[in-house]
Amino acid sequence: MHKLRLKFSKNGPIKFIGHLDVMRYFQKAIRRAGIDIKYSEGFSPHQVLSFAQPLSVGATSDGEYLDMTVNSMSSVKDIMDGLNSVMNEGIKIVAIAELDEREEKAMTTSYAAKYHLKFRENSKPDFDWVSEMESYLEKETLPAVKKTKSGEKEIDMKQMILNYEFGEDYLDILLMMSSKVTLKPTLLFVYFFKSLGKEFNTVWLDIHRVDIYRDFQEGDKTYIEPFIAGDTDERIYLNG
Amino acid sequence: MNYNLALTDEALLTIEKPERYIGNEVNSVVKDKGQIDIRFAFCFPDVYEIGMSHLGIQILYGMFNSYDDVWCERVYSPWMDMDALMREKNIPLFALESQDPVKDFDFLGFTIQYEMCYTNILQVLDLSGIPLKTADRTWDDPIVIGGGPCTYNPEPIADFFDIFYIGEGETRYRELFDLYKDAKKRGISRMDFLHEAAKIPGIYVPSFYDVKYKEDGTIASMEPVFDDIPKTIKKEMCTDLSHEFYPTKPVVPYIKITQDRVVLEIMRGCIRGCRFCQAGQLYKPLREKDVEYLKKIAIEALENTGYEEISLSSLSSSDYSKLPELIDFLIKSCNEKKINISLPSLRIDAFSLDVMSKVQDVKKSSLTFAPEAGTQRMRDVINKGLTEEDILRGSHEAFLGGWNKVKLYFMLGLPTETDEDIYGIGDIANKVAVEYFETVPKEKRGGRTIDIVASTSFFVPKPFTPFQWAPMNTKEEFLDKANKTRKGIMSQLNQKHIKYNWHEADASMMEGIFARGDRRLCDVILRAYEKGCVYDAWSEYFKFDTWMETFKECGVDPFFYTTRERADDETFPWDIIDCGVTKAFMLREWKNALAGKKSINCRQGCLGCGAASYGVGVCTESK
Repeated sequence: MHKLRLKFSKNGPIKFIGHLDVMRYFQKAIRRAGIDIKYSEGFSPHQVLSFAQPLSVGATSDGEYLDMTVNSMSSVKDIMDGLNSVMNEGIKIVAIAELDEREEKAMTTSYAAKYHLKFRENSKPDFDWVSEMESYLEKETLPAVKKTKSGEKEIDMKQMILNYEFGEDYLDILLMMSSKVTLKPTLLFVYFFKSLGKEFNTVWLDIHRVDIYRDFQEGDKTYIEPFIAGDTDERIYLNG
Repeated sequence: MNYNLALTDEALLTIEKPERYIGNEVNSVVKDKGQIDIRFAFCFPDVYEIGMSHLGIQILYGMFNSYDDVWCERVYSPWMDMDALMREKNIPLFALESQDPVKDFDFLGFTIQYEMCYTNILQVLDLSGIPLKTADRTWDDPIVIGGGPCTYNPEPIADFFDIFYIGEGETRYRELFDLYKDAKKRGISRMDFLHEAAKIPGIYVPSFYDVKYKEDGTIASMEPVFDDIPKTIKKEMCTDLSHEFYPTKPVVPYIKITQDRVVLEIMRGCIRGCRFCQAGQLYKPLREKDVEYLKKIAIEALENTGYEEISLSSLSSSDYSKLPELIDFLIKSCNEKKINISLPSLRIDAFSLDVMSKVQDVKKSSLTFAPEAGTQRMRDVINKGLTEEDILRGSHEAFLGGWNKVKLYFMLGLPTETDEDIYGIGDIANKVAVEYFETVPKEKRGGRTIDIVASTSFFVPKPFTPFQWAPMNTKEEFLDKANKTRKGIMSQLNQKHIKYNWHEADASMMEGIFARGDRRLCDVILRAYEKGCVYDAWSEYFKFDTWMETFKECGVDPFFYTTRERADDETFPWDIIDCGVTKAFMLREWKNALAGKKSINCRQGCLGCGAASYGVGVCTESK
């Protein structure tokens, strides 16, 4: 038995495929590739797939994660090539890591997500949003009201922004995304527009998720790094 | 992957289920436009999830795309939110694969599976920017061609089509495509092309037939305007289904669709001869596919799609002679791969119960019986072989096997129906409940009990059936009968175990008008569409009052088509089509029905229906 974590990208028209449909897409692709995946028990056994975090419809990504268990395999490369040969080019497996059996699901251990944000071609704001956003993010606090299942909750978005960097017409930003605290890019933009007395439509924003991070301790220091990290360069030190 | 979508990201994010419009599904076919002579847009005029579930399109899509010079793409009706957006932003309707406008295609084909989609055909033409009437089209427009069961009486939509293809699509499309290429090369007029096409067997060009009416409104004659095209169009049919194209790489959608599984068509046609059933006559004679061929196809299709379920498809799977062998094979190969098998249209007996217990969760699944009528007399009239004894014996065995959910299907408004037949529905449902209590002692029920759902639909007489002469009930009669059925069920001892569902009468009435309609309905359909009727098959969009208002405006009496008694020798609008089964045979069967006389099925003996002229299938089996 091998517990695997797959990293995949989602680009092109596939970005319109919703989270549950991506799950169904993988179930079929796994069958087409003939992967010896572990099924659940019971009368109608199904593949057990677990995604790190759902990606909203319309967003692209280079760092999505999926955990699954296989009964047997010859190599992770085989699984990767097998899957990539039966999938649309819009979804591509870019890395696979074999996990320790005790490793918790990506869903419960994610800590943050890095986004590359800009406006869609036909929806560019008529003002210099980059410099306005720069000064907005410098405020002491960024209060917002977040709608949750149980009602509304007052939050300070500032506490959920780990770091950021601007380009000519984009914003790269690292936002918290864990089972306890999550900030969605669209909420940040809703309040940013509100601070300027403007309305924001979520369909304007071109959201690209760069990667999803987990946190870990080394000595007395806390770091975060992508679930499947290339090398230690991708580590980010978390102060506090 | 085609990255150039017809719609902007913003548009796709404002509408429901953008996955309906982005194409790029697994196994969808993209070709190089430069290498293609014929671009074919194939449309199922309903929403994506319904259209994608249809086997016929998958077959022809695969077959057309197997031709090097043809690229076939798919089109479905835009849902109402998309419809509004396209009109507002002037976005022309596009095909899914290339995302190119439908208007630029060589052919626009519609498969017409039910009458209530007629306004959706107009919606697709309209959004494509194609003139709605054949008379207004030029070479700038695609050739608009229709096929499928409704085209056996295509007259109500005759004005909207350049061509109807009558019968199974596998046989004549290649010829039509070659003629088209040749016509383009020769630079002949569109009219001349249609004239030549009308000489191909199975091809009906409605504008080349002149209809004259009698004073009473019935048809006097339908004559071809050219001497060199046939007076009637005979159904095209495949003679050897085991060597025909079958799609083992069907397109796999991203979203859940109605038929979300591999569909394995095991045969075409039916031996049964139920007198209300149109499919039973249209697809005669029964032709089985070779079992080894089916095994191969099943495995290939599962491997190519990754579906977790496979379903057998036919009109009456129990009549497939190698069914046990096929099911054995499927159970063995599917169990390993954790693939479910679904077996619709099986007759409930020891064999099917044994099979079902292997492939379904007995506690969750239900048994389905379709007695169609409440008394034996009525069942003899409709020639439905199922007896009360069959139902009770089947139920008894099923209850012993652990089942406790039963679905019963009936029709109301059948010819010669009396109150006794209607109350008989409650009786049968009650007897099934009694059978349960007698079969399963209280201590063995484990807290469960019998759960019966009785459903009735309203009978709509269809062309090419013995009941094509039958008057249809009015809406009031239907509702009265549904009420009586409900009362009949309520008066039963076990009524609290029986749930009753019935269909809407308004939609049945519309279906009845279109089913046996003539060309005078074209104007009504066009006008109703202009007044906002579309998606009539969807109760939330069906506007019965608008339809009735439109009939009045157009001066057309809807009851002429439904409740009117038809004379034995009346010329029907669909007499222009020859479905292989003769009118004389159907009249004989109509008389047998009225006399309450049953007929044998095709395996018991030949009734001389006419389908033997194809010289295939059950007609050639030794009896």
